[in-house]
Amino acid sequence: MKKLFPAQEIGSLAKPRWRVKGYRGEQLSKEEKAEAVNWGRKLGIANLSELVKLLGEKASSNRRKAMLEWSAKYAIRFFESAGLDVVFDGEQWRSEMYEHVIRKTAGFKFLGHVKSFDYRYFDKAACVDKPKYVRPFYFDEFLFTKENTKREIKVPVTGPYTLVDWTFNEYYEKKFSGEFGDFKRRKFEARREFLFDLIKEVIKPEISKLVGSGAKWIQIDEPAATTNPTDEEMKLFVKSFNETVKGFNCAFSLHNCYSNYKVLAEYACELQNCSQLALEFANRDSRQNGIGNTRKGYKEIRLLEDHGFRGNYGLGVVDVHTDFIEPPELVRDRILHVVKMIGDPSRIYVSTDCGLRTRTWETSFKKLKNMVLGAELARKALK
Amino acid sequence: MIGCYLTGILPRPKELIKVTRAYDRGKANEDELEEAFENATVKVIDTQISDGFSYVTDGMLKWQDLFRPFTENLSGVKMGGLARWFNNDTFYRKPIIVGDVWRKKSIIEKVSYTKHQPKNLPWKAILPAPYTFVQLSENQFYTDETELMFKYAEVLQEEIKGLARRGFKYVQLSDPALVYKPTATSMASDNLNFIGEALKLAVQGVPVKTCLQTFFGDFSEILPGALNFTVDHLGIDLYETNLEKLKKHSFDKGVALGLVDSRSSLVENEDELVTVAKEIVGSIYRSKICEVFICANCDLEFLPWEKAEEKMKVISGVTESLKEEFS
Repeated sequence: MKKLFPAQEIGSLAKPRWRVKGYRGEQLSKEEKAEAVNWGRKLGIANLSELVKLLGEKASSNRRKAMLEWSAKYAIRFFESAGLDVVFDGEQWRSEMYEHVIRKTAGFKFLGHVKSFDYRYFDKAACVDKPKYVRPFYFDEFLFTKENTKREIKVPVTGPYTLVDWTFNEYYEKKFSGEFGDFKRRKFEARREFLFDLIKEVIKPEISKLVGSGAKWIQIDEPAATTNPTDEEMKLFVKSFNETVKGFNCAFSLHNCYSNYKVLAEYACELQNCSQLALEFANRDSRQNGIGNTRKGYKEIRLLEDHGFRGNYGLGVVDVHTDFIEPPELVRDRILHVVKMIGDPSRIYVSTDCGLRTRTWETSFKKLKNMVLGAELARKALK
Repeated sequence: MIGCYLTGILPRPKELIKVTRAYDRGKANEDELEEAFENATVKVIDTQISDGFSYVTDGMLKWQDLFRPFTENLSGVKMGGLARWFNNDTFYRKPIIVGDVWRKKSIIEKVSYTKHQPKNLPWKAILPAPYTFVQLSENQFYTDETELMFKYAEVLQEEIKGLARRGFKYVQLSDPALVYKPTATSMASDNLNFIGEALKLAVQGVPVKTCLQTFFGDFSEILPGALNFTVDHLGIDLYETNLEKLKKHSFDKGVALGLVDSRSSLVENEDELVTVAKEIVGSIYRSKICEVFICANCDLEFLPWEKAEEKMKVISGVTESLKEEFS
């Protein structure tokens, strides 16, 4: 992209109440219908009366499909109206980044809820058979997005290393039982085979369909990349990324967040065909304006540079876990600080730290608008 | 003696999860939440009794994480943000040390359910060990980590004595940071001596049996130094430990063998576990066999309750087979 500091999002956007209830086939309140109409007007969505009619209809598979399309259309317009240069559909077709893939793939069984923290839980699956590609899980969503925007598209894809890390590995551990005297070695070998089977049988076939239909940029989401920070595991992660992207005529990038970048920095250069590292930084940073010591949240960029990473940065300048609206001047200073660190402004895409699914649409819109304004201020400052 | 017990927090059964979620969303009140905790506690205690466990815990269902009762009840400690719990997809709230650490009241009493624990079986409590507490806290007050570690060890000693007065017979100190590779590799042998000293202070004069339970890392890496720790038993995660290296050492104290994998839903083959346990016991006890406990390698809370229940049956089955072997 020729423009300096193009603005992008990472993936998810909250699902509005009318989308959630509409998809489930539940009755909507007046307020919820009004929310759909008000945002529709604000975003310049055409044929709103059709949506209102649909929201009053009985539950059916057609209504569910239509709800996905309407909410995706809203999300695309949302990002465009905020001024982003690179967009997707806010992952409106996906229940959640993990479940969406696992539920549409054969070989998995959900076992129940385990604790994440406090009173929060997640539904965890076990791999009970060799994973098998049954039907596309991102393809239709991509086609819809492609038909509904003229902006550059970045398709977020949940990475295989994360899918494996978040899944119990019954099938492969059973397969390897008795093969190694050492439990630790057995688990590692079982994990390795699960990972590369998943890449070969499921992830690559889906990427192949996306690329075959015109996807030009795919972002591999790997929040678990540094969960196991040993050399053996990090090498496994790198190998899994390289195998995932190998052989496709498409740009790839990696998104990682709330992780140990000291560990990631050591291995980032080994990632092949990885044009961008989209990382969370704003969450670690102060809210004061300025360049230099104030910008403590961006210090790990130095580690990445020192280890020789020369790709682009998807620079997290907006914190997604707070309602604080970053002023454009703060966004500008975060960008200019990193320009000073790396010397080459063309390597920076401005970005949110992660997906915006935990923020309201009102908050997300303000945050994105200011992110775009901050990028504009940074461009002016460099003129 | 061959026995078995739990080594950490149990998963919350479905019914309890439902109420905690409702509570979190403002759709259940304090009384309903408390009733759900009580019912679930009775259930997990009954399971341990019917599985023939040698020591019984209350399942620690109310513990949000291993440190939470300490971050909430110790003077000089405040609750920080969420941080990843080692290499797991679970999180804990970081204890922030902001002042002199001291025990103003019982730390775990409010989250314990001793009233439901059986009168005819000994009780076990589980607390964070000094090294792990220090490694996973953020020290903003003491000049160095050693000072904090010894201060916390004093607190632990008071707490363990309090637990003994309330009827507990066994206290486990959980010490994953001691063996978890990214934190343990930087540990010099001098550090191991300091850690041993802090541990000694924590258990000095306590009238209960004690165990230092390690997990998420290779126990053989801290041998033979760990054999000098002044605890009755040493707990070993057999899914992270190099078994051949382990078998080369000779033990003169009891062990808790983490033979069941809490981080895998695959239910283990009992015969295989019996064989592995026999090999280890035969190797590390060359003259006289000390106390051996069969257990999960770490907290079973990484599994849904139904799987944990199955795994507890495996622990029980393996223990019974070993009792026959070594009787």
